[in-house]
Amino acid sequence: MKTDEKPVKDGTSEVRPKIELLAEHMLPTAGLAVAVLPEAKHVIVACFDGGIYQVDTGSGARTEVGRHDNYASGVAYLPQSNEVISAGYDGALIWHDLEKRTRIRRVEAHRFWSWRMAVSADERWVASVTGAYRAGGYRYEPAAETEPSVKVFEVRTGALVHSFSHVPPVLSVAFSPDGRHVAAGNLMGEVRVWDLETVKMVASWTTAGFTSWGVIKSHHYVGGIFSMTFSLDGESLYLAGMGPMGDPMAGNGKQHWERYAWRENPARKLGEIADAQRGNGLMEAIVFHPRGGHFVMAGRLAQGKWNTGAFETAGGGLVQGLDTKIRVTGAGFSANGERLCLVGAVGQERTKEGKPKDFGRVKIYRCSLG
Amino acid sequence: MRPLTNAGGPGCSVPEHAMHRRLFLQGALASGAVSMMSWSGLFGLEALAQQAKREQKHCILLWLCGAPSQFETWDPKPKSLYGGPFRSIPTKLPGVHFSELMPGCAEIADQLAVVRSMKTKPNEHFQAIDLLNRGAEPRPPFVRPTLGSVLGQQLGHLESAIPNFILLDPCPEGNEFKSFKAGNWAGWLGAQYAPVRAGGTFAIPDVQRVADMTTEDHEARAGLRRFLGKKYENERRSAAAASQNAVFERVKGLMSCADLFDLNKLPSKDRERYGPGAFAQHTLLARNLVENGAPFVMVANGMTWDCHVFQHEIYQMLVPELDRVIVNLLKDLEERGLLDRTLVVMMGEFGRTPWLNTSRGRDHYPDAWSLALAGHGIRRGVVVGATDEDGVEVIEKPFNEKNLFATIYRALGMDPYAEYEIPGLPTFHRVEEKAEPIHEVLRG
Repeated sequence: MKTDEKPVKDGTSEVRPKIELLAEHMLPTAGLAVAVLPEAKHVIVACFDGGIYQVDTGSGARTEVGRHDNYASGVAYLPQSNEVISAGYDGALIWHDLEKRTRIRRVEAHRFWSWRMAVSADERWVASVTGAYRAGGYRYEPAAETEPSVKVFEVRTGALVHSFSHVPPVLSVAFSPDGRHVAAGNLMGEVRVWDLETVKMVASWTTAGFTSWGVIKSHHYVGGIFSMTFSLDGESLYLAGMGPMGDPMAGNGKQHWERYAWRENPARKLGEIADAQRGNGLMEAIVFHPRGGHFVMAGRLAQGKWNTGAFETAGGGLVQGLDTKIRVTGAGFSANGERLCLVGAVGQERTKEGKPKDFGRVKIYRCSLG
Repeated sequence: MRPLTNAGGPGCSVPEHAMHRRLFLQGALASGAVSMMSWSGLFGLEALAQQAKREQKHCILLWLCGAPSQFETWDPKPKSLYGGPFRSIPTKLPGVHFSELMPGCAEIADQLAVVRSMKTKPNEHFQAIDLLNRGAEPRPPFVRPTLGSVLGQQLGHLESAIPNFILLDPCPEGNEFKSFKAGNWAGWLGAQYAPVRAGGTFAIPDVQRVADMTTEDHEARAGLRRFLGKKYENERRSAAAASQNAVFERVKGLMSCADLFDLNKLPSKDRERYGPGAFAQHTLLARNLVENGAPFVMVANGMTWDCHVFQHEIYQMLVPELDRVIVNLLKDLEERGLLDRTLVVMMGEFGRTPWLNTSRGRDHYPDAWSLALAGHGIRRGVVVGATDEDGVEVIEKPFNEKNLFATIYRALGMDPYAEYEIPGLPTFHRVEEKAEPIHEVLRG
């Protein structure tokens, strides 16, 4: 175990480490999303430079799988076909053959960026969310969308099957475990859930827990729901981001997650992170352990002790927190749950010769979570 | 070199100024009272009003406080590792690219002068805001007047109902900008040249006459207050009383032109064109104020450009708003015949770092940044200076705040090196060290 990441107290007592650092690798540019291959010998990382890279988790060796014309923002691995789907700020979804390293298809999903993408567990659907933040009111309320903010495509063919309306920018998306529902969350903390069989919106609510309006100097809206995931039983929807701030440019809102019974009308909040267990900083990833007993939320540490926290599903308590020394933007577990992979970045720096230093990071952890 | 005084009268170096004063007085006398709602109302004789209007120079400062990124505006570096996710687009000027967030400005690049090689020193907001508003480093205990105060004095009329220096900023907050706003804007020129601030709401508060008071009653009370105030000021030689009297005179003027600050009285089509955000709406208001005779209007929006975090998330909103505002403002000024008499300055207090921090934001960077100018005295379609391929260093024609202020004064026909001649003051000039203007952007 590397010593830079010590377990933190859960509020009263120090806990036994359940997540231990095994390896850290550098990438030329920031990683924005990660997909973990079976047995976690490799991960696929979507990067700032547009590259989709396969990284050997042991050696750190990387090979390019494909490339976007702008930041690559999302990636998913399809075990059934050994394919990779990636999304990017070029608005495209790209299918890659992992073995041949060839592009299978490219779909122009949006005119603006794909902020996030998700693939249903049955590998039938891929969803991507978009939308630029544009001034829509005196206080910079977001303007209405100019293209559908949520799109669902068929994985097998790349055909567009659903276009759903939301208020841009829509920053996060997730499928229910059975693949029947897709949820998406935006800057203003609004969540919408659609039934893909009836093609109807079945839930919609807004939480004030993730959005700031800058009283002090950033006189606009900031923040939003940056990541979301359904519980493994599909009954709860978890949202992640950062709590409101008076000065959003301080970036020091509370690390935050909320859990909702989304099937109820109106959706009911079942819980949220305990105030005593959190620090400050934007949380950009929330993922469930494959066995469902824990989930991990990760992001940036502005103030506090951890930027990657493992929580018990049952009570929502923090089991372990790690200061990973990077801004985490993507997280994923191996299929057996024994490995946790984080991707992100440190700040850009230059060498003495003025050359940019590698600032992307991949970190691999051993897990004993349940 | 023409000496300057703080009287705003005989010593002013803009020839039209003295004539405007005469015109004003003639008009006021002819009409018998100074009661007006607009520029034409400033002068009782329409012919005099039109003559003064034709000769009035103006300046609008789009003050992008917090400091905008040069990469996402005027100096994109799409091939750099530091370039960010926004691409560059070609402009009307061959070989010149702006950020894709500025398609409107790309279309009117032939009307703009862009300086890509600003290089200044302060790295913190307050010091940089001070520097870019005054044009020189502090020299305590003396306080140099801000650009708005200087231009308000030089281009305006003390007797004017429309304030000579208007600051439109909807937010009373703003971190370091808030601190700056609380300071001494007019410096050694005196309180009468401080800005009138419209903040918090569209309309200026507390400038409406009390409903149950007649105009005559109000005038009588104002006259008594003026007499007693001036008596106190003269007998005690009180600078504080002088400032207070100046403020009362300004408020009296504001009462008569309060409607000019009311956006609800502007055509809704104009409001839609500029866009709904506070900055856009206030820029439209600035246009309206200039159209009605205001010499200097500064439009700010708190310190909103200081994006240390969420930089790309927020710039996708801020920059298109700025783009739309610039295009509409210049178009309107041109259509009204005002662009050749109005200098438009678009700048913040410094630039942003080429490299992204851990929050994917850009931090403060005074070493190499950009600004833009247009209108009166400015050449059209010129880009001056250059930075290296990553935007780290200025590699061609570095300019600082003194060069910029010399450019602004020269563009408006003022002597940049005029000496202030104020009792008890050491020798100061409008621009110190004889700093050269940026000749490449000056017309003629």
